[in-house]
Amino acid sequence: MNKAFQLPLLAAAVVFLTAAAVANPAREAILAALATQAKAADPTFTAFSSERGAAFWNADHTGGNPELPSCTSCHTKDPTAEGKTRAGKAIAPMAVSQKADRFTDQEKVTKWFDRSCKNVLGRVCTPIEEGDIITYLSGK
Amino acid sequence: MTAIDRKRSAGGPVAPVLMVRVWDLPIRLFHWILVGSVATALITGLIAPEWWKGVHAAAGYLVVLLLVFRLVWGVFGGEYSRVASFAYSPRQVLQHLRGLLLLRPPHYIGHNPAGAVMIFALLAVLTGLAATGLIELGGEEKQGPLAGVVGYALGNSVKPVHKLLAFTLIGMAALHVAGVLVESVVTRASLILAMITGWKPIAASLPAPEPRSARPIAAALALAVIALPAAAVLAALSRFPPTGLPILPADPTYAQECGACHRPFHPSLLPRASWAALMAALDDHFGEDAGLPAAEAQQIGAYLQTYAAEAWDTEAARRFAVTSPDQPLRITETPYWRRKHAQIDPAVFARTAIGARSNCGACHRDADSGRFDDQAINIPGGNGS
Repeated sequence: MNKAFQLPLLAAAVVFLTAAAVANPAREAILAALATQAKAADPTFTAFSSERGAAFWNADHTGGNPELPSCTSCHTKDPTAEGKTRAGKAIAPMAVSQKADRFTDQEKVTKWFDRSCKNVLGRVCTPIEEGDIITYLSGK
Repeated sequence: MTAIDRKRSAGGPVAPVLMVRVWDLPIRLFHWILVGSVATALITGLIAPEWWKGVHAAAGYLVVLLLVFRLVWGVFGGEYSRVASFAYSPRQVLQHLRGLLLLRPPHYIGHNPAGAVMIFALLAVLTGLAATGLIELGGEEKQGPLAGVVGYALGNSVKPVHKLLAFTLIGMAALHVAGVLVESVVTRASLILAMITGWKPIAASLPAPEPRSARPIAAALALAVIALPAAAVLAALSRFPPTGLPILPADPTYAQECGACHRPFHPSLLPRASWAALMAALDDHFGEDAGLPAAEAQQIGAYLQTYAAEAWDTEAARRFAVTSPDQPLRITETPYWRRKHAQIDPAVFARTAIGARSNCGACHRDADSGRFDDQAINIPGGNGS
């Protein structure tokens, strides 16, 4: 192979792989579905926000189990770190950079948002809240 | 033999004294190894933490071997080791005790009558301890030769007997030592030294029979005759799998769904009624939503019903079948769990390697098998006491 092509090819490969890690088609589909629901619920909705997601993730909520006021109660403030359940079981990092298959299985996403939101807030999360969190953790 | 067995002592103070070889080497070794194994068994059984149970059992097995040897040596050993040489009549025993009270006991070369009664009693209590210990080990712990033939109920029922015999043994050992000291003072001959060197000074005037020699070859043959059927019985017993310890098939759904938040508990750790109530209220699972799709919930529920405590005869299953009246779904609230963990500092559970009371496997290395052997306990960072 001609040496002149090697560097651009390598660079292209790196860009492509990085993009693939972030923009997983399954995750994009889940986000797209959430965006549709968000728009249906709130016509002023434009896009999910990583900042809103971060704020929601770190906030103390009420309405759920008082022992679990925040996402960080189990997942810790650092999404790239391992979390821990009340029963002492380790939870793999939620950050997509640490676990590439996060938010790529619709059933799993629904099940765990339903459970975790009820535990922390005493209610299911809105599509905007869920989309914001996925966006936040995808960038982590 | 006489020349070797008896030697004139170097200058007795008053009466001429003969040194007699009363205890041959095998009986001395028997005595001191028995002292060591009984002490080990008492300390590991009554004081040491649970995880010394393996050492306790080993000490018990050693006692069994020593008892078998003692019986054989009681027939084929040297003169004073032979049971027949210290099988006194009740009248002789009473006479000896009366003499002791008057501080003028008749002298004996080997076991005196009171001592002989104690020897027989000690051998009987040790036999009882070995028997109840083996039944307890087999029934409760599903270990040892009787694991396949004794159930939990029988193993548990002999527990108080084993304990009572152990305390009886402590009392008897104290009496035995007291008797040895009294006899040593009254006869001015150290019985302890005699059990170490084998030689005992006796008054030359005491009529000493011509001692019969030990018959080691006959003793070895007798031991072999006992060992062969014993080995056959042990081999036959080992063919039985432990009672009430079924093989638990792995259930990937159970392991994945329940294991996501906590250790997937062995199904034997709660009774059927508790598992049913727990599966019926997954939306409020100890304060958290653990809702499952109906199909998965049904599959897991059926698995738990099949392998619940009622299906097992292990100590853990039988004990945890008795749940807390207030919180029948919590294994860690069962009376047995609370009693067994009462001595453990709460800070121990908070350690990083443990994290929660419900993390059984952090300390019980065999938690996934449902056995919960005492020897398998290993508290990360020590027991903190």
